Amino acid sequence: MDADIAPGVIGSEVSGRPRPSGVWRQAWHRFRRNRAGVLGLILVSLVVLIAVVGPFLSPYDPNDQSAMLHGAARAAPSAAHWFGTDRVGYDVLSRTIYGAPTALAVGVGAMLIAAIVGVIVGGIAGYVGGLLDEALMRGTEFFMVVPVFVVILAVVRLFGVMVVGTPLERIPNLNLITITLLLGLFGWPPIARMTRSEFLRLRHAEFVEAAVCIGTARRDILVRHILPNALPPLIVLVALGIGGAILSEAMVSFLGFGDPKSISWGQALYFNYEALKVAPWACIAPGFAIFLTVLGFNLLADGLTDAVNPRVRG
Amino acid sequence: MGALRYILRRLAFSLVLILGVSFILFALINAIGNPIEILLAETPGISDEAIAAVSKYYGLNGSFTDRYFSWLWAILHFDFGTSIIYNQPVRELLGLWGLETLKIQIPAILLSTLIATAAGVVAATRQQGRADFGVVSAAMMGHSLPGFLLGILLTLTFSYWLGVLPSYGAYSTRNMFMGNIVADGLWHMVLPVAMLTIVNTATLTLLMRSSLVDVLRQDFIFAARASGLPARRVVLGHALRNAFIPVLTYLGTLFGLMLGTAPVTETVFTWPGLGALYVTAIQQLDYPVIMGETMVITVMLVTATLATDIAYVAIDPRIRLA
Repeated sequence: MDADIAPGVIGSEVSGRPRPSGVWRQAWHRFRRNRAGVLGLILVSLVVLIAVVGPFLSPYDPNDQSAMLHGAARAAPSAAHWFGTDRVGYDVLSRTIYGAPTALAVGVGAMLIAAIVGVIVGGIAGYVGGLLDEALMRGTEFFMVVPVFVVILAVVRLFGVMVVGTPLERIPNLNLITITLLLGLFGWPPIARMTRSEFLRLRHAEFVEAAVCIGTARRDILVRHILPNALPPLIVLVALGIGGAILSEAMVSFLGFGDPKSISWGQALYFNYEALKVAPWACIAPGFAIFLTVLGFNLLADGLTDAVNPRVRG
Repeated sequence: MGALRYILRRLAFSLVLILGVSFILFALINAIGNPIEILLAETPGISDEAIAAVSKYYGLNGSFTDRYFSWLWAILHFDFGTSIIYNQPVRELLGLWGLETLKIQIPAILLSTLIATAAGVVAATRQQGRADFGVVSAAMMGHSLPGFLLGILLTLTFSYWLGVLPSYGAYSTRNMFMGNIVADGLWHMVLPVAMLTIVNTATLTLLMRSSLVDVLRQDFIFAARASGLPARRVVLGHALRNAFIPVLTYLGTLFGLMLGTAPVTETVFTWPGLGALYVTAIQQLDYPVIMGETMVITVMLVTATLATDIAYVAIDPRIRLA
């Protein structure tokens, strides 16, 4: 157990020694020793890197279908096309690279919405308590029991029909935005529950009572005293949620309800699945891109659990 | 007394939930306007009277509240209307296609529970050992493996490369496997069941292991060990029974989720089940099927959650009734 405590903490017990290292440094110290977590961090960093420098890496324009003209559609991987070409002549590698920013945008966007809604709902429920808490938690449960995935499928499709002929139709990547919004709106219950239990725990913590005693404004108590201390377990949930949202978008797109105008991995699977037998590479590359990204976020979350909460290792 | 009140409260909440979903669903479907107009808009030379007649046939005239309540009344009597695309009662469709879904999901849930229990025991009794590391790594990978990628890899390997298993459908249209309809059905089930089993097993194993690790640390296990019980009986008799409680929750969820994940599985293997039915219904705006099936899925999910909650209380006396 003693290995879990960074040297600074032991030093702090003796006065005159260097200052104790901060919470985050201790967390990083613990994180580094979790091999799975480090692998996750590497995978996630790689995806982020590809998303950022993708346009410079990509050998072809993602919308370049010229392979089609010289009969090189569905070509097997070669020196010219490392991952081959798909059934309409796109370079699979380029499309896979350009799928990374889409995936991250969906994942991070959805979890941003989920985190904001979840922290507000959970925070109010946990801090105010009483009847309001009861009502908010029943509402949360409602969102947890609803068959999210099938509802998203139906809503994306119906919304797509509804916007036809309205000004909304001209918004670029509207379908992708709808999917992201829906994933966010259905993704907040776990965060709300965790925030609530953390706020309940911290509401009566000694340092919070001390802050109340010296007359700190309620806003400051919530934002500066309670929220930062409730953050660690929430970060784990957000990391897990990003991976989950990326996977959900891929599934929605794979079933044909994605955004035909955007370049996403799920979309690539949908377009190429019927040609699986003749051009398997066009499905395998985006498939593995999804797998590695989701795996990265899951492993990262696993490492973070250990890092922020040394008690729960098993 | 407390237990009964708890169950009644859960039951009431479940009913409210189902009603809530039904209302939101109905409102959403109505927000797109008259589906008949959308579906028939492409038909050349169709008159307004014809559209009105078809709308009336599907019960689409009348005010919103009238239609909502008559629809609700009908589904309470298991009358989901008639499918626009298949021109068949939705109830029949749900029954026929539902059977095919159960055919692959139930064996997969049973198999994965068995495998996950075995793997969880192996890992938890050899904590930090090589077997544990192997089981956890494999389960972690499997947990992140998207079902469709697994399906693609299985199809490529066993159908296209080795050519031993069919890649789509529930039955052969000609040349039955071994000339026998039962053998042919089983033969088609192998790949979908394998895919579902692998996907379920990964998560269940992680859960089983961590639950068992927790239980093995408790005092009553030390007491059992100290009293000289053989290790096998301590683990299989005492620990496993307690470790099953959180796993049971997940199994309940899994049972409810069965229909939630079915669309992907059944699209990968072109399996004629509820998931595939749902996907085509949404694509073609076959709204009686969309509404009927969403309600069935919701009721199943809510029932599964309710059953798990109740079973949880029944099994574990430590749980405080809130």
